[in-house]
Amino acid sequence: MNEREDVPKDFIKLKSEKLSVDEVSELVISPCCGAVSLFIGTTRNNFEGKKVIRLEYEAYTSMAEMEIKKICRDVRQKWPSVKHIAMHHRLGVVPITEASVIIAVSSPHRAESLEAVTHCINTLKAFVPIWKKVCLVQIWF
Amino acid sequence: MPTWECFFPPPCLSQSSPSDFPLCILVTVLYFARSAELVGLRSESVSVPQRITSLQLWEEIVKIHPRLAVIRDQVVFAVRQEYVLLGDQLLVLQTGDEVAIIPPISGG
Repeated sequence: MNEREDVPKDFIKLKSEKLSVDEVSELVISPCCGAVSLFIGTTRNNFEGKKVIRLEYEAYTSMAEMEIKKICRDVRQKWPSVKHIAMHHRLGVVPITEASVIIAVSSPHRAESLEAVTHCINTLKAFVPIWKKVCLVQIWF
Repeated sequence: MPTWECFFPPPCLSQSSPSDFPLCILVTVLYFARSAELVGLRSESVSVPQRITSLQLWEEIVKIHPRLAVIRDQVVFAVRQEYVLLGDQLLVLQTGDEVAIIPPISGG
């Protein structure tokens, strides 16, 4: 790979199509990195003791992308050896067990990418304007 | 509806104006999640004083959509895509600014 093409990159995407773990992890692969750490958030079938049939996500898209960019900047400041960061979040309907968010980070050694991925998901949940609507089973009496 | 105290300025007017004649401008209010359900809208243009605290801004919006009052303790604003708590913070708004009502976020 041309070294000029291997500058650190952030890959940020909000989309309604199904997310791909292969696609996201391949985005961050780099010849100088020995570690790719991954987080996948998937929809659970229960919420506060009730059965969930699906989740629906909405976002303040322009601000969400900005906030995710801020997370990437923050990661690079805290873990300067991090190479590429990919954060993909799904919007709209996400069926049970499918991925709503995939985060991948590459670094030369494993400690930085593992810590950075944890920071990414924790900060996303605290600061990125995305909402999930939990659709519960409805029963006719 | 703007009262006699609010008026739309000619383009040449400077930003500062006597506080007893508040300048009113049109901002775009965006509604998300629960707030969008309560209001039945995703966005609208609202006329508000250019200089206003974040709490006063909330109260202006609730005057138009009283159903929003139930989520008052849970929301923050995003003004020009920066989070603002409901309180004493003075906002200086410009025509066309985006003001988003942000219920508790739940991404990821």
